[in-house]
Amino acid sequence: MKGNQPPDDVIKVEGLVKRFGTLAAVDGISFSVRRGEVFGILGPNGAGKTTALECIEGLQKPTAGQIQVLGMDLQRDAEQVKARIGVQLQASAYFEYLTLREILRLFGRFYPHHVPPDELLSKVSLSEKANTTVGKLSGGQRQRFTIAATLVNDPDVVFLDEPTTGLDPQARRSLWDFIQEIHREGRTVVLTTHYMEEAEFLCQRVAIMDRGKIVALDTPTNLVRALPTPYQVKVVAGGDASKDGLEALDCVKGVGFGEDGAFYLRSADAARTLPALLTWANQSQVRLEHLEVQPATLEDVFLELTGHALRE
Amino acid sequence: MLIPLVVANLKMTIRNRQALFWALAFPLIFVAIFGLFDMDKPPTTTIHIVDYAQDDLSRGLVQNLSQIQTFKVAEKWDETQARKKLKNGDIRYLLVIPKGLANTMADGSPAGLSFVFDERSPTASTVIGMIDRFLGQMNLELAKAPTLLELQPQGILSRKMGYFDFLLPGLVGMGVMTYSIIGLASAIALYREQKILKRILATPLRVRNFFAAQILSYLVISLAQAAIIMAAGMTFFGAKVYGNYLYLVLLVLLGNVIFLNLGFIVGSIAKNVNAANGLGNAVSMPMMFLSGVFFPKEGLPRILAIIVQYLPLSPMLDAIRGVALESKSLLDYPTELGILAAWIVVTSVIAVRVFRFG
Repeated sequence: MKGNQPPDDVIKVEGLVKRFGTLAAVDGISFSVRRGEVFGILGPNGAGKTTALECIEGLQKPTAGQIQVLGMDLQRDAEQVKARIGVQLQASAYFEYLTLREILRLFGRFYPHHVPPDELLSKVSLSEKANTTVGKLSGGQRQRFTIAATLVNDPDVVFLDEPTTGLDPQARRSLWDFIQEIHREGRTVVLTTHYMEEAEFLCQRVAIMDRGKIVALDTPTNLVRALPTPYQVKVVAGGDASKDGLEALDCVKGVGFGEDGAFYLRSADAARTLPALLTWANQSQVRLEHLEVQPATLEDVFLELTGHALRE
Repeated sequence: MLIPLVVANLKMTIRNRQALFWALAFPLIFVAIFGLFDMDKPPTTTIHIVDYAQDDLSRGLVQNLSQIQTFKVAEKWDETQARKKLKNGDIRYLLVIPKGLANTMADGSPAGLSFVFDERSPTASTVIGMIDRFLGQMNLELAKAPTLLELQPQGILSRKMGYFDFLLPGLVGMGVMTYSIIGLASAIALYREQKILKRILATPLRVRNFFAAQILSYLVISLAQAAIIMAAGMTFFGAKVYGNYLYLVLLVLLGNVIFLNLGFIVGSIAKNVNAANGLGNAVSMPMMFLSGVFFPKEGLPRILAIIVQYLPLSPMLDAIRGVALESKSLLDYPTELGILAAWIVVTSVIAVRVFRFG
């Protein structure tokens, strides 16, 4: 890969290591982020996502490795890099005695180039809150405000650290819209998350991180397709359907019995498993009460790659 | 980049009621309490009299004694009872005039007047001195001696300095110190806890500009604080300040830089806001009580006094008092300024070392 990078990589990370004492929070990761994509880092808590992100943002000093952002060396040109990136920290707050407009104006002053506060607030639908303080906002509004604050310098790259953690589904949905809009404006977005559906919905490419290492990196579709069993067939059968019969079906690699009373078949090829299932049901006089084929999710990818679930 | 941050800091301070309380109300409460007490009115001393003589001379003596301004006389006491009361601490001074005073005098032999006093009384020596002088004058008058030498007291220190005048600069120092140490320490701890520091680090703002803005805004606040405390003491409670105000400003700023550095250090060491508060108090309380805010530190045990004079608040207060009350110049305080400078250097180095953003 070295020396053969496409010119439109906005972030290049090579051999990044961050150690705290003996613990390697980030244990030698390398990846690139392409201009204009939404790049996701997916992994459980403690996988090293935030540490990796903060190294790239210039907030933590790497133990080893090279980081280039927008063609600049992070160590050498930290200030120029910081002028062109927007950073949202996980669970961070803002000054409690300043209004939203005052905070955005203040942060704007830290940059050579900045966007008027009211423009930013209207972008995240907080115009009518311009004169209130952060403490009086709801959780969703607060997250929207922190996103507005990342845009204060009209950045080329936006970093979002678990932007939707702790939000209810509706607020999460609305935040996804804002993130997509940032992306449509031509900015590169790098976000961390431990929600697969978020990564699947927002990201063009996803790096799956576990215990400080990147275990896979591709588009969500490719990641799922690369699974030995990219499909899941859910079967609710009446009568005395046995696990053994299902396990013997074509392309089935495993059968689980869910708490909902359904069988879950992991299939390498649903197009071959389904006819076999129907024939088997017919022959063994089993009535199929419910049949559903789903693609596997990133959750399954994670389980396959690491041997443990994303959230445990 | 610097000025907007300073302005924002000042705005936040003014909007933060709790911060304002510590900055102003706390020292002003002290000003009001001590201003309302009149600590300087000379206490009238009551002299109890047992007069065994009961002649013209003894009556004249008592009459003259009662005309001294600070004395009140209580006559017609029984000696046994009076001595008992004195032992219990109910009365402090007892003058016993012996029998036949006039006769003894006429003989030409000296008449002994017993003066019994409570040794624990802090004013005892002054009172004895005054009685002695009084009797000396009586002697001369009785001997009809011409006045050959006369003392004409001329007060060189024409300014009256009362306890409140002494206290007010102390309260200024205390207010500035507690607010800067505790206020800044808890602000830094809060900013770190809420990741505001880290968020600022993610911008191109230079770290030293952030530091400078914090220090600058707190210096502005401390000057306002000092001015308000001084003004309140002078306007409402008649405190006197004689010295050069520019020197006072410089001293407040100089001392406050140390307190701000201590605030940075405490805020960096403390794990959270509560810890910063507690630790800030632990740092400022001993100085508040030992460095002579309320009482001259000369009264401390010797070893303690030697240590205490090197705490940053002590030289600051000594110099402020010298300037405010005795119109001295800053040049009269080379040692004090040296100690302050040393503290500034040491605390700056430590503050930069221990400060952390995340």
